[in-house]
Amino acid sequence: MSAYIIRRVIQVIIMMFVLSFICYYMLSLMPGDPVDILASSNPKITTGDIERLKALYGLDKPAYVRYGNWLNSFIHGDFGYSRTYRIPVMELIGPRLFNTFILSLSSLLLSLVLGVAIGVYAGLKPGGKFDYLANLCAYAGISTPAFWLAIVLIILFSVAVPIFPAGGTITVGTNLQGFAAWLDRGKYLVLPILSLTALQAGVFVRFARSSMMEAMGYDFIRTARAKGLNRRVVVWKHAFRNALIPLLTIVALSMSNLFSGAVLTETVFAYQGVGSLIYKAIIESDFNVAMVSFLVSIFMVLIMNLIADLLYAAADPRITYD
Amino acid sequence: MKIIMLLLMILGVASPKSLTAASNNELKIGITQEFENLNPIVAQMAASTYIRRAVGRNLVDMDENGKYYPALIVKIPTLENGLARLSGEGKNRKIVAEWQIKDNAKWGDGKPVTGYDVEFTWTVALSKFVSVGERDTYHQIEKFEIDKANPKKFKTYYREAHWDFNQLLTFPVVPKHLEENIFKKFGNVNEGYAKNSLHVKDPTNPGLYNGPYKVTEVKLGSHVIIERNKYFYGEPAKIKKIIFKVIPNSGTLEANLRSGNIDMISTLGLPFDQALVFAKKVEKEKLPYKVKFKPGLLYEHIDLQLKNPILQDLNVRKALVYGLNRTELTKALFEGKQAPAIHNVAPMDVWYTDNPKDITLYPHSRRQAKKLLDSSGWKMAKDGYRWKNGKKLSLQIMTTAGNKARELVETYLQAEWKKIGVEILIKNEPGRVFFGETVRKGKYPALAMYAWISSPESTPRSTFHSKSIPTKENGYSGQNSMGWSNPKVDAAIDAIDVEFDAQKRIKLAHRILGYYTDEVPVIPLFYRSDVAVIPNKMSGHKMNGHQAPNTNHVEYWTFK
Repeated sequence: MSAYIIRRVIQVIIMMFVLSFICYYMLSLMPGDPVDILASSNPKITTGDIERLKALYGLDKPAYVRYGNWLNSFIHGDFGYSRTYRIPVMELIGPRLFNTFILSLSSLLLSLVLGVAIGVYAGLKPGGKFDYLANLCAYAGISTPAFWLAIVLIILFSVAVPIFPAGGTITVGTNLQGFAAWLDRGKYLVLPILSLTALQAGVFVRFARSSMMEAMGYDFIRTARAKGLNRRVVVWKHAFRNALIPLLTIVALSMSNLFSGAVLTETVFAYQGVGSLIYKAIIESDFNVAMVSFLVSIFMVLIMNLIADLLYAAADPRITYD
Repeated sequence: MKIIMLLLMILGVASPKSLTAASNNELKIGITQEFENLNPIVAQMAASTYIRRAVGRNLVDMDENGKYYPALIVKIPTLENGLARLSGEGKNRKIVAEWQIKDNAKWGDGKPVTGYDVEFTWTVALSKFVSVGERDTYHQIEKFEIDKANPKKFKTYYREAHWDFNQLLTFPVVPKHLEENIFKKFGNVNEGYAKNSLHVKDPTNPGLYNGPYKVTEVKLGSHVIIERNKYFYGEPAKIKKIIFKVIPNSGTLEANLRSGNIDMISTLGLPFDQALVFAKKVEKEKLPYKVKFKPGLLYEHIDLQLKNPILQDLNVRKALVYGLNRTELTKALFEGKQAPAIHNVAPMDVWYTDNPKDITLYPHSRRQAKKLLDSSGWKMAKDGYRWKNGKKLSLQIMTTAGNKARELVETYLQAEWKKIGVEILIKNEPGRVFFGETVRKGKYPALAMYAWISSPESTPRSTFHSKSIPTKENGYSGQNSMGWSNPKVDAAIDAIDVEFDAQKRIKLAHRILGYYTDEVPVIPLFYRSDVAVIPNKMSGHKMNGHQAPNTNHVEYWTFK
């Protein structure tokens, strides 16, 4: 097992190098660099200004040289400087990653609890009233655009019945500490979490329901029932454990998005997450910010897939890694 | 619902108190655009300038009528008041100006603002290691001479004698006593100063600010809090604390306003179409807000690609203008709240003219448009479009994709020009591609619609001079993407820069406008209006309509 893990970790590192170069090169292929965009919006920029700024930003060098310089700095712990916000990348991105993590993890956990519980229960009694209702809600959640739901939530709970703030991350200028600060943060999280949960929970309901239905049809379940085992043991110890494997894949994939952010939800709720930052960094060729964001996302996808593989083995004794 | 609300209130989660009205204690302003760090030398975003002007003042500023006034200084030097004088002749003619900073002008830590601060700012801005976009403003100053006996007084020597020398010091000032050591230590490293400036490391240091407010909290991408600066040289600010909040989605600005999350929307907020809708709601629902519109210097227009064989024909260009009813366009799409444009100079500018003796006017006339097209051989066919030598009179228009107002205008133009037999094909691109590649390199095949910003009495060198035609050789600098070249226009532009007589400058400007309207390299559409939403009870808030943000008079904003 440990040899497998070491092999996979090495693969992750190699993949990160390769993908980081691809991302960097793709960014550099976008039409117009930051200086070109600046020049097009400022009528007083001269040819000399353009040459000076390109040299200052290193944009006069080929993409592979710039990538080499970036990689060298990155390896030495210097994540660079945001050209858009004009501060070091980690100062900018650190708090936003944390905000996104809080939002994504909260909505993921809530979706998981709701989605799995409803899905499993619906899967146990397919075709029943509860199953129909669960399916209806799941489809509604999956098919409702997150930004539309976000706006509806704002109108309902911030304007019509003003119980939650319309947008933001914390109450500005209050300097709250400890539990009061977390409570304050919590009230700004309620609506974005609800908006994200509707979609994710719908997906989990569908997966949990179908996995459970499939597991309940296996021969060993019939055998367990015939042996007179307690229904709770049959469902949770035998059926649910088997239903977990496909669920683990989808949960692991969802976990990999914990630091990627939800661009639309964050934008609509003016939530200071990393999603809108990545979008802006790509559009404005803020290479250093975009690259750190990409690497975090790539790392999360690769590492979560590794964790999912390891969890398969834990969930199903038939799976082993040599 | 009541039970849920009660529960939430008990838990301390619900926030019905958020509906508190704005007062002189606190004002929360919503902006949709993000800001960077507030170092005025390197900052380039409009939102940074907007916030910055409330905490830092320039030597010279511009009022709501587009007139320059002394801000940090006692008097603007001119040849007339004797504070500026010319020396030399011809190309060697130079100018020197005397400046004096107000005696009570101080930084937020109580240290005086002096000529040494201005000179230091100039030195930093000219460093090759500091990322300053356009350096011409700084570069035109050859040297400083500071009065050692009274450092509030200083002289500036200019490389060339330009009439607008006294407008160059509109640049902001940074405190030498705080920033000099940082510049000495990191000034020789690429962007070393910008990365280590106190604006990054200690942005709430009061010594960085000389305006009516000082920054007390900054969170990039979220908000800035500013509070009254007791060392401000002017009238003390009426409002104690102002919070600038970033709400990136303009669609939720209204909800944030109505829920009390913000108290007003700045000029960097509502798109025009949304403002029109909200103005109606304010009237209908008697909401406690004023929606303010002010025609500005931003001028929406269509560049005509003069390399296009169809558009090389002056009759076609003129026909397009005759065939377009700009008054109706602004009425139909903007309820008349954006004024139709007849050229690039806005009515608030002293260079503006609508005198038919100076310029060619194009009153809407489909008959005249058709006559011009007929005379150029473009004959109307059964399909409703004009043809010549087997070629259809078809032009492609491009603009920024996703800009609702511009897309509406395109549809309007398509319908209007179809009536004179011109086919318009729409092809839009994301802003980044459109501005970064297509317009910048003059790659659009026929028509490109976007806006230009200028300041009053702004020489159109970058837009109309033939040397400003973007080419590979000049690194695609300049904004004459139409490729318009007229030696008489070039001569007038060159002359205007060195003409000190205001009346003669106006005549030169009118001469340029004459050629512009006669040769139609551009179709002017309308002057864009600035929009802001303020609380009913607020007074002292004026709209500028030009490049100086209206936070330049924030100290006068107050609540009844």
